[in-house]
Amino acid sequence: MKRAPARGWPSTIVGIALLALMLFPVYWMVNASLQPAGNTLQGGWFPSHPDLGGYVTALRDQGRNLVTSLVVALGSVALSLGLAAPAAYALAQFRIRGTNLVLIGILITQMVPGIVVANALYSAYNDLGLLNSYLGLILADSTAGVPFAIIILRAFMRNIPRDIIEAAHLDGAGRLRVFRSVVLPVSRNALITAAVFTFLFTWSDFLFALTLTTTQTVRPITLGIYQYIGAHTNQWNAVMATTVMASVPAAVLLVVAQRYVVAGATGGAIK
Amino acid sequence: MTGTIALVLAATGCGGGSAPDKVTSITALDYYTDEPEHSQWGEILTSCGKSAGVRVEQTSVPGASLIPKVLQQASSRTLPDLLMLDNPDLQQIAQTGALTPLDQYGIDSSGFAKGILSAGTYDGKVYGLAPYVSTIALFYNKDMLAKAGVSVPRTWDELKTAAARLTRPGRYGMAVDANATFEGTWQFLPFLWSNGGDEKRLDTPQAARALQLWVDLVKSGSMSKSVLNWTQADVHDQFVAGRTAMMINGPWRIPALDTDKNLHWGVAPIPVPRTGQTPVTPLGGEVWTVPQNASKARQQKAAQVLACLNNSSTMLALAKQHFTVPSRTTVAARYAEQVPSMAAFAKSVEAARARTSELGVKWPKAATGIYTAIQSALTGEQTPEEALRHAQQIATSN
Amino acid sequence: MRSRSRRVTDPCSRERLAQWMFLAPAGAYLLLFFGYPIVKNVVMSFQQYTTTTFYTGDAPFVGLKNYAMILTSDLFPKALVTTLLFTAGSLCGQFVMGLAFALFFQRRFPLGGVLRSLLLLPWLLPLVVSGATWRWMLDPDTGVVNAALRHLHLSPSGVPWLTGTSQALVSVILINIWIGIPFNTAILYGGLQDIPTHLYEAAKLDGAGPLASFRHVTWPLLRPVVSVALVLGVVYTVKVLDIILVVTGGGPANATETLATQSYELSFQQFEFGRGAAMSNVLIVISLAFALVYLRAGRRARNVDEAIS
Repeated sequence: MKRAPARGWPSTIVGIALLALMLFPVYWMVNASLQPAGNTLQGGWFPSHPDLGGYVTALRDQGRNLVTSLVVALGSVALSLGLAAPAAYALAQFRIRGTNLVLIGILITQMVPGIVVANALYSAYNDLGLLNSYLGLILADSTAGVPFAIIILRAFMRNIPRDIIEAAHLDGAGRLRVFRSVVLPVSRNALITAAVFTFLFTWSDFLFALTLTTTQTVRPITLGIYQYIGAHTNQWNAVMATTVMASVPAAVLLVVAQRYVVAGATGGAIK
Repeated sequence: MTGTIALVLAATGCGGGSAPDKVTSITALDYYTDEPEHSQWGEILTSCGKSAGVRVEQTSVPGASLIPKVLQQASSRTLPDLLMLDNPDLQQIAQTGALTPLDQYGIDSSGFAKGILSAGTYDGKVYGLAPYVSTIALFYNKDMLAKAGVSVPRTWDELKTAAARLTRPGRYGMAVDANATFEGTWQFLPFLWSNGGDEKRLDTPQAARALQLWVDLVKSGSMSKSVLNWTQADVHDQFVAGRTAMMINGPWRIPALDTDKNLHWGVAPIPVPRTGQTPVTPLGGEVWTVPQNASKARQQKAAQVLACLNNSSTMLALAKQHFTVPSRTTVAARYAEQVPSMAAFAKSVEAARARTSELGVKWPKAATGIYTAIQSALTGEQTPEEALRHAQQIATSN
Repeated sequence: MRSRSRRVTDPCSRERLAQWMFLAPAGAYLLLFFGYPIVKNVVMSFQQYTTTTFYTGDAPFVGLKNYAMILTSDLFPKALVTTLLFTAGSLCGQFVMGLAFALFFQRRFPLGGVLRSLLLLPWLLPLVVSGATWRWMLDPDTGVVNAALRHLHLSPSGVPWLTGTSQALVSVILINIWIGIPFNTAILYGGLQDIPTHLYEAAKLDGAGPLASFRHVTWPLLRPVVSVALVLGVVYTVKVLDIILVVTGGGPANATETLATQSYELSFQQFEFGRGAAMSNVLIVISLAFALVYLRAGRRARNVDEAIS
């Protein structure tokens, strides 16, 4: 092929070296998680005698929080896509007056610091009884997912050829039918990208976990780690085992959904 | 708007309550999330509940989130029937109107040590009683001291020399909690107070000299600069890991220290400025309260349980479990006879001072000023004098 | 026309209603979770919240007192400067490194694509995870970074990464740079890909070296993407909270206290929700100033935007 590597393996070696440097903290996290308890105040460079004790402790203490994060993240994905997909379609394909206003509004949401939302939500949630609830967290966490999904999906849906949609309309399909059976299937890739990122946003959320939960009943893993750091410094292996487990979704998605992750990283920013 | 909705919620929430004359269970909230304390308290609450004829449902939240939780429950009118608070927080919460005075239940508050009673009192009324009190002391590693030929320091000068001689690569001589939290303030108080410093007036030479001691320990390398970030639990971990030879900590750490068979530790009063002085330490301990509640019958039951927690036999049992000191002076004396190793603590607790005794609800501001000053001085941003002048500004701001 | 469109039976207005129904749920959500908080925050900033407020629901209006208090407190100028240093430092580092990585990955070499996507990992990890790991690595006594420095005889006593006031700020900036590099690499790489190859070939024919072709071809064509990357960077960095709370908690001696952490502390540690709200409004104003820049930059970038999508 013409696209044969212009430069050869030397570049690859440099690339691997750079990557190793960048990912060293990740290695160190894994290394620390495999050290025996107590000893990790000065752990070795290699886990020469891997010890799974940290994971046992971490699963015992934080297993429930992992499940909580999973529930909240999946809930937020469902909510964000459910709200964003129709809106993105409307913004992309309908000529509605005020579309620009809505788009500017979405851009402005990116400027609002989370702490502002948290400040106001705390008292509103307090009145509504939404503190320490899955629903409360899902709703709050979707503040990252909804605008992002709208941006990603709209960019994609703008490029859906009008003839496909018009042909469906001519066949007598209503707006909702067209949306469900034409637009959504065509936008599969963009939907996956939006879902992947919404999941990661919510899974990583710390601010809302910190401010909108006050008990152990509903505690996302990020908050679990934060409170772990304050209380268990002689068990760094368990703390690091928890961080490793909290990193699994990001790592897995990067491997299995690489295409969508890369698309999201560039797509969301430019628009 | 917050108020109206809260009232509506309260009104609807209370409608379906149980019949006022038949209370079968009450709720209790504390911050004992860690074992074995959580279960130990659970058992005590259960047995006290039994004597009052109710089941006690215990909930525990971590210390740092107790006050947010209480405030949240206060605004939604869902406070527990029985509430535990750290003693310096009581006056602040009582001020909001969320608690009830205990005299209306005929609870006997006589015979309690003056310090803890004053911490439980707001506006002339007793709102909270603590079954036991505690304070902090100097813990040391016997083996390390013996090996270095250092005797247990009694004065500040001795502390500095001992800490320096105990320091070697990979190990510090001394550790404290100088965190930017109330815990950091709490650890500094024995040094401040024993030198004649006072929270009402922080910018004094006495206070500056106390802070200078900590600065010297860090500057000379006898104490890690990381004390700035350490909590009491971190300090404990450093001590157990053999990375510090001495530390300031509380007796509630003793059960954990005892689990390590290779660790030979001793405990002594916190060193004082000059020979022969008695250290003035801060009074620790949690008070139990009965919050406002629509059901008088539930309040009565909660008060009965509270009275049981604070009777002589319960406090003696609790003190033995937690290595703390019963808060009724006569019980404390009996305890010192029964558990000689705790005699030192029993004695220092007698002289211990409540953090809110002088400033009351204004204590949190002074406490904030103090830890801010500690941080500025230990990082070298400000001299102790400058730092404390700033602390005084924080303490008196509104 | 206008009067007729009021009738529901009018196909045109029914059509419009149907279209709006697609937009309404998301619109309602955005109003509730962004519009309401912004308004509520403004209202709260004029009220005095105390612990008593939680019991009585009583938060009297105090006019501009909260703003006067926070703006005159000695923490405010310090936090403002820290916020600016943190933002500027993070951004410079992320951008320069990101651009270097993007240029590097533009060369074609075996495994280049795989390496490029693996590079995204630091950006995808939860910030709390990165913060906890770095905090442990940077521990002055037991951390691996100081261990390495001692081992290499670069700093026998070690650097007080988390316990020195200026070092702590440098540490959080370095960590934030580490997190931001992948994102910058990704969008700058995207921008580089859109520069037509024939321009480089033409430059080469004109005898331009790599430096000259970067200056005359790459940079001018990359400019719109650059400005978008920078402005987005500012907007995201100004409000960073997680990293600082996890790594330093704003300390030591408030050295890493920014406007965002201040706002959090006022509201959720001291229960001064009024002052916390005032502080975060200052933050919004700063962000909105950049929002305007962003919209302007966006207009310039639109050409590129069309080209990419």
